[in-house]
Amino acid sequence: MSLPEDVMEWGCAACGGTLEMVKVGFTYMKGNFEVDLPACSSCGMVLVSEELATGKMADAERILEDK
Amino acid sequence: MRSGNKHTTESLCPVCLARIPAGRCTEGDDTFLVKNCPDHGDFRTPVWRGLPSISGWSRPKKAVRSGTYQAPETRGCPFDCGICSCHRQQSCTVLIEVTSRCNLSCPFCFAGAGTAAGPDPSLETIAGWYRAALEKSGTQNIIQISGGEATLRDDLVAIIALGRDMGFPYIQLNSNGIRLAADPAYAMELQRAGLFSVFLQFDGTEDHIYRTIRGRSLLDEKLRAIEYCAAAGLGVVLVPTVVSGVNTYNIGDILKLALKLAPAVRGVHFQPASYFGRHPGPPEECARFTLPELMRIIEEQTCGLMKAEHFCPPGCEHPLCSFHGNFLRLPGGELQSLTRHAPDCGESGATENEGTGRSVSCVARQWSAPVAAAVCCDTNSLDAFIENHRTNTFAVSAMAFQDVWNLDLERVQECCIHVVAPDGAMIPFCLYNLTSTEGKPLYRRPLC
Repeated sequence: MSLPEDVMEWGCAACGGTLEMVKVGFTYMKGNFEVDLPACSSCGMVLVSEELATGKMADAERILEDK
Repeated sequence: MRSGNKHTTESLCPVCLARIPAGRCTEGDDTFLVKNCPDHGDFRTPVWRGLPSISGWSRPKKAVRSGTYQAPETRGCPFDCGICSCHRQQSCTVLIEVTSRCNLSCPFCFAGAGTAAGPDPSLETIAGWYRAALEKSGTQNIIQISGGEATLRDDLVAIIALGRDMGFPYIQLNSNGIRLAADPAYAMELQRAGLFSVFLQFDGTEDHIYRTIRGRSLLDEKLRAIEYCAAAGLGVVLVPTVVSGVNTYNIGDILKLALKLAPAVRGVHFQPASYFGRHPGPPEECARFTLPELMRIIEEQTCGLMKAEHFCPPGCEHPLCSFHGNFLRLPGGELQSLTRHAPDCGESGATENEGTGRSVSCVARQWSAPVAAAVCCDTNSLDAFIENHRTNTFAVSAMAFQDVWNLDLERVQECCIHVVAPDGAMIPFCLYNLTSTEGKPLYRRPLC
């Protein structure tokens, strides 16, 4: 997996490490899913884009939340 | 207001329909609505039997009102309905009754349809009702086209299209399924007009149940209606009227069949029988089937596949009016519960539900046709997760409608299921259908 073009130049704000693509597991209200995301190769900090957070991840959250 | 084991509220006298003080009295695990009319005596009706306990059956909720009120109050709730300023919840479902004609003669009929049916309202009149709903509650609610039997109108497609044109995104049909079963093209036409879901009367998996409740065998037609709706891309919700001693033994089988017919069948919505409309005689205490009894019988008859603890109080209407639970269908036929009620832990940390808004979007999503045809999947990707949950979530819910015997004005004031009356007033469903012991309606009048 290669980094998306728009984050290739990014570094980790916390420790300065370089980013790499990793499979990140999410758990929310007994639901589990995995997403390939850029993360710091040194400290593991994960980058979640605004598009993902307000798009599909918000969709998943709405699906699991009770009316 | 609570004092000891009594919660004070108000109700109506079943005989004269005068507003009278009432109390919810809890004795052990059972709760009764108790009231006295100075002219007609004492009345006592069970409203909650057994566990889960009524004392923990609630969740934080904000009252939500927007839109306009009816004219100022003169006589107070429930006599100035339309909705009046006493009301603490706006509509999440708005019923529009497009005919009083029916092709069945059920002893159990909320709407008292069929006999002495008046002429159908014109499209222009119906447009006026849509406008009334729009003005009082906006477009973000579920419009349920009802009757009578709405499919008896040959212009139903035009009625649905009119609602969509006026901005209502969720139009659902309440039907007995007879016409849907007669012609596969009909469901397609309704879907193309903008219908998203069918609330299908479905009282059991055995024909003698239909003969008792609906007057004739209907199971084959129900199954064919489901098949045609599925092919047309309409979500189907099975709606059993639950009558003590008639189909209570069949509740588990209804759920098992519904699961077999999922994802086309999106869920089951149980409605314990109420005693208004055209019901034979006053109810015996043993004829009352309460929500906790239903939750327990679901657990018993599904052999624990669904448990009473999986069901939650509502975030929209009054807690004593309904329960619901969502379940994810797993590839092996098991279910994973997505909801759980934990009264002992308290739900104080839960976000207050803003009532109707979230409820409408959740229900509309759940009752829509599925996005995929089969249980998936062997991947844990986010896309697969979303698709799997959208397709394979199965909803079980129930609503306890009130009649003149168990009417509790505190519950009515939090009602979010409203009927548009012929004059455009929005009346809570239970009040609209309520009748006295003599059959005198509080609100319902002939359609035209």
